[in-house]
Parts: sequence; C-alpha cells; structure tokens
Amino acid sequence: MGDLLAPADTFEVLLGNEAIARGSLEAGLNVAAAYPGTPSTEIGEALSKVAKKLGIYFEWSVNEKVATEVAMGAAWSGLRSLTMMKHVGFNVATDAIFTLAYAGIAGAMVIVSADDPHAHSSQNEQDNRHYSEAIGLPMLEPSNSQEAKDLIKEAFGISDRFKVPILIRTTTRISHQRTPVKLGEITAGPGKGKFAPKEPDRYLQVGAIARKHHSELLRKLKEIQMNVSPRFYKIEGSPDSDFGILTSGVAYSYAKEAVKLANLNAKILKLTMTYPLPEKVIGDFLSSVTTAFVVEELDPYLELRAKAVAKDYAPDVRILGKLTGHMPRVGEYTMRTVLEGLSKATGIASPIDFAKIDERSSKVLSKVPPRPPVLCPACPHRSAGYALRRAAGGAAFIGDIGCYALLFEKPFRVEQVTHAMGSSIGIGNGISLATGEDVVALIGDSTFFHAGIPALINAVHNKRKMTVMIMDNKITAMTGHQPHPGSDFNAMGEKAPAVDIEDVVRSIGVDYVKVVDPYNHAEMEKTIREALKRDGVSVIISRRECALLTVRRLRREGRVGEPYIVDPDKCTYCRVCMNTFACPAFVDTGSIVEIDPTICFGCGACTQVCPYDAIIPQKGSLNWREQGIGV
Amino acid sequence: MNVKEFNIIVSGVGGQGILFTMDVIARATLKLGLNFVQSEVHGLSQRYGSIRTELRIGENVSSPLILEGTLDLLISLEPLEGLRQAPYVSERTTVVMNDHIIPPVSAYIERFPIPSFEEVLDLMRSLNPKDLITLSAYKLAEKAGDYIVADTVMLGAAEASGALPFPEGALREALKEVSSEEYRNLNLKAFDLGREAVSLPR
Repeated sequence: MGDLLAPADTFEVLLGNEAIARGSLEAGLNVAAAYPGTPSTEIGEALSKVAKKLGIYFEWSVNEKVATEVAMGAAWSGLRSLTMMKHVGFNVATDAIFTLAYAGIAGAMVIVSADDPHAHSSQNEQDNRHYSEAIGLPMLEPSNSQEAKDLIKEAFGISDRFKVPILIRTTTRISHQRTPVKLGEITAGPGKGKFAPKEPDRYLQVGAIARKHHSELLRKLKEIQMNVSPRFYKIEGSPDSDFGILTSGVAYSYAKEAVKLANLNAKILKLTMTYPLPEKVIGDFLSSVTTAFVVEELDPYLELRAKAVAKDYAPDVRILGKLTGHMPRVGEYTMRTVLEGLSKATGIASPIDFAKIDERSSKVLSKVPPRPPVLCPACPHRSAGYALRRAAGGAAFIGDIGCYALLFEKPFRVEQVTHAMGSSIGIGNGISLATGEDVVALIGDSTFFHAGIPALINAVHNKRKMTVMIMDNKITAMTGHQPHPGSDFNAMGEKAPAVDIEDVVRSIGVDYVKVVDPYNHAEMEKTIREALKRDGVSVIISRRECALLTVRRLRREGRVGEPYIVDPDKCTYCRVCMNTFACPAFVDTGSIVEIDPTICFGCGACTQVCPYDAIIPQKGSLNWREQGIGV
Repeated sequence: MNVKEFNIIVSGVGGQGILFTMDVIARATLKLGLNFVQSEVHGLSQRYGSIRTELRIGENVSSPLILEGTLDLLISLEPLEGLRQAPYVSERTTVVMNDHIIPPVSAYIERFPIPSFEEVLDLMRSLNPKDLITLSAYKLAEKAGDYIVADTVMLGAAEASGALPFPEGALREALKEVSSEEYRNLNLKAFDLGREAVSLPR
C-alpha cells in the first residue's frame, strides 16, 4: 500500500483508489462516508488509516444511501465531503442523489462511482455513466491513477463554484491499477460547519420549489457544458488523419497503445468530462474526419451522443462502434479488443496473430483444472453450508451478497440465488408466499444491517413462514474486514457501541432466535431442523469470527494451533470429507485424503465430518472449542 | 536508464504473497525512475483463489493489461496458475516457476485430472518460452526459516534469471524497503537462497 501522507512533489506508487483518497486530501476534505464494495473499498480504507492523524472524519456507514446522506449533511453545513461506492451501491444511494442535484450544496461534495465492467466482483456490469445525465450531475472519468488524483481536486473546485455535487466514475482497471503519482500539498483538516440554508426553501424539494430548482440545475449544467467541459479533453495523434477515435476512461489507455502497435494513422479525442459533453469539441473533431471509431466499455454512451452531435456538425461522418457491431458491449476491454475492432473497421491486419496464440494456448488451458473462488480453509460458512445441506436439503435456498455466496458451489449447493444486497429475505418472502414450502434465506451480518432489516420486518408483519440464517462474524469480511454497526469499533479506530443483531431480531417480533457456533455441526443441524418446523419466521444466528481473523487472533495470543492430520490407517478413502466438506487443505493422493499442512488453518471442524474419525489433531493442535468463537 | 517495454505477470493462489511480490518489483521500478502501470483484481476469494497481478514497465505504456503473446517475465508461485497464463507466454518470455502444485479442491470433486509437475513442464515448453526456470521455493523458504517467505525466494530466483531490466541489487534494496521490520532479515535470507538456487549450474 502506498504512503498516503508522502510529502508534496514526490512520487508515490498509488492504487487508483488511493490516488482518489490522496486527491481528496489535497482538495481539503473534511468528511467522508462510504459503504465498502469492490472495486471502491480502498478509497475508504486509505482514508480510515489517516483520518485521525489529519483531524478529518471518516465512517463506514450502514449502507450507501446513508453514507450519501452523511456526506450531504456535511456539505449542506458548508464542509467538503466525499462519498464513494461500487456501481450497484450507487443504485441504493440514488433516491437521495437524484433530489440532491436539485438541492445543491453549500460546501463542496464529490461522489465516486466505481463501476465493474466484466462483473469481476459484482452481480452485474451496469454502466453508471447513464446516471450522470439521468440525475443531472457533471461526471469526470479518469484514465489512470495520476489523473484520478488530479481530477478529484478539479471536481471539488467545480463543485464549490457551481454548488452541485460532482460525480467521478472509475472502472475496476482504474480503481485497481498502481502507477507512480506525483503528489501535491495536503490541505485536508477538521471542519466546523453551520447549517444555515441561504434561502428558506433551499432544501425543501416539493412541487413548485422542486421545479424552480430543476430549472436552476439545468442552467448550471448549461454553463458547465459551455465553459467547463471544454477544458476536459485532449486530442492526440496525426492532426491530418481522416480516421478519428473517440474514447474516455481506461478505454483510452488501450486505444492509445493499440493505435501505435497497429501503426495506424489516426487521431484520438479523449474525453474526460463525459457529462455534460463538450458538444462543439466533439462536433469539430467529427467534422475533421471521415470515420470515427468509438472505444468505450459497456454501453454505447459516447457513440449515441456522437451520432446526435454529428447530425448538426458532420452528417456524413461514419461512426463505428458497438451499434455497428465493431466492438463488444459485454465484458471489459483490453488492447486486443481494440486491435480486433480496428482490424474490422479498417481492414488492417492485427500486429499480433491472435488466432495462433489462441490455438497454442487453448491446448494448454484445456489441461489446467479451473480454480473457481473458494471459501478459505476454516471458513465458518463452510460448516454452516455443510449443516444446511444435511438438515434442510429440500428447502429453497435464497442467498445474498457476501463470501457465503460461494456456498452455491458443490458440494454445498445451498445458495440458489445471489441478487442484490439484502434481497435474500425479501425474495424469500415472495417464494414462501408463492410455494408454501420451506424457505431458507442466508444473509451476512453486514448485509443484514445494510438492507435486510426492512425485509425481515415485512416477513414478520405479513405472517410469512421462513427461516433466516444470519451469518454473523461482526465485520464486513468479504471486502477486507471493515467494521459495521454490529462491530465494537469504528472506521476512526475508536470503540463504538455494537448494535446487537439478536436484540434487533427479537424487537421485530421474532420469537425463535437461536445463536449457534457453526463449527458445532451437531448443534447447528439440530437447530436448523427445529427452525424449519416452526410456524412464522425463525432466525438462526450463525456466529463465529472470520477465520482469517482467528488466525491473527491466535497468533497474537501466542497459541497458534498446529494443522490437523489424517491417520492413514483409519482413512478408508471413502472421500466423504471431499464430497461433503471440500476444504482447500484436502489433498486426494489417489489412495487416501491428506491434509496439506501449508494450507490447513488448524480449525479442526473437519474432524466431525469423517465417518471413521481418521482426521486427528497432532501435538499442539487446538480444537474448535479451545479456539473460541472470537466475537 | 531507459526501458522500451517490459511486461511481468506474477501468478499463484491467494495467500501466497502474490501482491507483496509485485509490490517489491513496483518499488524497485519506482526507485529507478521508470514509468510503469500495475494492475490487479481485488475482492472475493482471499485464500486459494486464482490470483494474478501484472506490471508493465516502459516510457509509453498506458494500458494496465498485458497484451497476449507479449509477456517478458512470468513468476508463478504455483505451477497450474503459471499454465493459466498461457495466452501471454511466447518466445520472449522467461518463466520462473515454483514446483509445488496446489490442486483446486473443485478438481477433486469434478474428477478433473491434475497434471503432474512433469506434465506441467511439458505443457509450458509447448509455448516455447525463452527460458524455463523451476525451483522448490517452499523447501528453500523452510531452509530460510519459514515456508511463508516462498514469495521472496521466487523474487531472488527472478533476479538471478537475468530477465529483469534492473541493475544488480535494485530488487534486493526494494525488498528491504517494502519488508516489515519483523520479516526483513527472513525475507533477505530467502531472497538470497532463491538467487543462489538459480545462479548455480542447472
């Protein structure tokens, strides 16, 4: 990780997300709030580490909407605030953001949307550029870490001048690239705000007031389009070429190199403010070429708008891209995507023989076993999944967003749904209503706080019969262990009141609430069977800390457990362990199953799985009771 | 110094120190004043998932992703994950590979045959790499004091391969800087063992 506080005028290797954090510090940030989500998380992680030292405030909020409202409240009180979220998190926040555009702000505010083309760690690959126009907020798109840092400063400046929040849109390959970044002076610090609306109806959006503010927003956007947007573009390449490339964001970095590699005589228009677009800049560019090739990931956002501009400026220009079938709409781009698209568009041969590479490498790849993501060794979710498979085999399993989504894999298959944050309980409501059959909704603790509680209330009030299993490790584990309202500390590193899930569930009116250590397989199975028999809503809280944290805790306590071993005399090679528990530490030798000591965390949960008691501790191993649940 | 273009992939499974390994290379690159761009994917599967990070050095590099067939150095902490980089490996690639196969547990369930290390080597050779260097990084790491420093053993081996466009000692200096106090000496010892293993006649 880069040093976020390195001195000005030096170069530091920064992740795109760290560059955004640093940029906001250079722009005088006072307050930031976010909910973690890949690929946006490291912005908050970086701020969390330095907040105390700089006197600024950072929190991991309960969800993206609340994070936005926290940042809004601070900006309405005259401070400089930031919120950031993954693309689907933005959906959660939009209810607040749409109207925020009308309301405007008193200080300055920046909202970062980190999109995930290719859905590397997401449930979809939605293109949040559409939001900028739909909401009516200016959008800037960086194409590398340096630009990310610099644009955040610009964004705060524009926000301060026009009193509207500014959107920054990154994509995974921007968020998660590291480059040397030249640093500026940090000006962030504590801010004392005052909530004093300039006009009495400034923040009262309804009817005539909303319409007045809508007109005001449109006026501001017009001015930004005329005077600000034309500052954020560049044109490169051969000025006299009649082949133009229109691009933005990370796609620019692929286009730039691809053109050079293909030795193509072309010029590139790289747009940095992608809403509102600098119409005249695009129009003049289109007038200067006969063909314009659009390189952008996901939707034909620039392509459609270029076509609209061309109607007035250059009606004869050929615009090629996704709509003409030259470029794909699904997945992320690479230089190869661009080279292949350029070959189709211009007829020039690709400088790389991809067919030959594909032929040669596919022969190798067909022999390489796939390695799908897998639950870590000792993961408590593995034990919960094992018990669910055995005790609730025939139920409809409605899963949610978190590591436990991996329970969709064999041998567990206890996730038939992964949809949106908190959706498991809501969807479970509907499936229970429609089928009257056993429904198990699985949800993590952080996800439960985020959006699961209203759905649980709905289930109780509407007399649904369903079982909810809350996988509680008292932390947001998947994104790297950020605290949530159930944790006893916060993002500033301070002690914080932990909201108890059991209390929340009971107060909603659920009378069957059981807390079980998932490592206790017999107890967990018994509880699941009991819960499924209940009328109404039953809740099982599967509580144990994330195994990665157990390892750290035991090391801290000076009592790391030795790996477990397999007694070769007792192992009958029945493969029950492999076919029902599938810990990554298991090694199938062809005659017995062994445990790889470099992988085994020493949890011992698997000892309960072997029908022949062949999995045994060695000297220095701790059993799961001795380890404690840690939370 | 001036590097036109040099592309590196470090691959392995989550938990092997892949990001740390690349951090060291990035630090060395920064200290030499070279331009570079590095890319990685975060999220899900903190342990034992397929992990790869890539770094491109060069005055004019801008794409964070390497183009197929243009890899110069592959450091793989796990052999199957090395093979998974096949589309990038070509006649210009030096491959430095650990010999310890970590079979994916799903392969056992699906009964997908797991190639032996000899088969891995044959498959890698079919891609005609410029050089193929293998070593027992875990054994050397244990010799240094702890199997968890297998990643720095691989770094030492990578330096000794002579493929990196760095002056002698640059990587070791960077390792010193990036290592935590606690692991510094252990890391340097592991690095030297990796370097020696490759420098010796093979």
